[in-house]
Amino acid sequence: MDAALSESPAEPAFRAFSVLRDRVPVDMAARVFARFDGTGIEGDAAAEPVEPPRPAVDAQVMERADRERLRAAFDRNPFLTVELGEGADDCAALLDDWSGASAADDPRAPGFYLSLTTGTAYGLHCPVLVCDELVRRGALDPQRRSNIELCLHEAVANAIVHGNLGLSSAVKGEPGGYRRFSEMMRDRLGDPVATRRRLDIFCRWSGRSIAIAVVDQGGGFDAGLAPATTGNKARSGRGFVFMRTLAARVTVTDGGRCTVLQFDR
Amino acid sequence: MDFKTTKTESAIEVRIAGRMDFTDHDRLPDILSQLDGTRNRLILDMSRLDFIDSAGLGMLLIIQDEAEGQNVKLIVRGVAGDVKRSIELARLSEIITFQD
Repeated sequence: MDAALSESPAEPAFRAFSVLRDRVPVDMAARVFARFDGTGIEGDAAAEPVEPPRPAVDAQVMERADRERLRAAFDRNPFLTVELGEGADDCAALLDDWSGASAADDPRAPGFYLSLTTGTAYGLHCPVLVCDELVRRGALDPQRRSNIELCLHEAVANAIVHGNLGLSSAVKGEPGGYRRFSEMMRDRLGDPVATRRRLDIFCRWSGRSIAIAVVDQGGGFDAGLAPATTGNKARSGRGFVFMRTLAARVTVTDGGRCTVLQFDR
Repeated sequence: MDFKTTKTESAIEVRIAGRMDFTDHDRLPDILSQLDGTRNRLILDMSRLDFIDSAGLGMLLIIQDEAEGQNVKLIVRGVAGDVKRSIELARLSEIITFQD
């Protein structure tokens, strides 16, 4: 394991990305930088940059995330907040492509990127944390938060349950199917292959809109089959209906692994 | 999600608090086990519920179906705020009885 990541009592729980810079593959650092610019600071897009591009993005990297660590990491205003996850996959996680979300039209638009393992994201209520952070950074009017949080919650739930855990809701419609669904959920949450898959949430905003991309590493799905409406007795399928009702725009890309929600500010 | 159950002569009352979402499927059998055949009304008090997602609404429909199957009438009370918004979006008042 990378010595820079090893636990020691004297070290903080998370470290600046610059500590890891030499260990991050050059092509990945270049890809992240090219797509996101990495500054997280709104600038004048028409102006010539006065400084050459920086070699790395501002980031907080932690081995294990929880609510308090994430809030503390966000307080440092990083662009990337990444949970590496426990075990031998740490180095592999660094090689993962965090940039699965579509790049914004304006690469200098402010934003932040949160990457968690599924095992952590499940039960963490990360949409609450992300909306807290959007409010804290002045991107989201608290009065408009409720609908955005519900949409983000639905996208995250889909990414975790149907994406990374690979569960179908179809069983819920069968007699006693809710018990079977609970068993399947427990099984998958005990499977380290599934719980180490990443859930990435990428937020960007401009003066007019907020875009939030939710990216999973599951098997994807045919977005054309997601219901635009659903019968009021259906036991599943409402998540997309909520998103399409409340968001200004919902776009599904990457074979169903990336859902981009767009809202007017 | 947390819940507490009280029983009167004719009804089972379950008070649900917190958030009811996709991570709460495991709690559904606990709620349904309250249907013990001795009461003909199940009252879900949601006045202390802060949030419900589409999976939580699906659980509500399962509770309704299971109650109906045992000739128990489901009544949902006290929905407000974000919970009311989700229920209205899903048009559940057309098939579940809600009371203030």
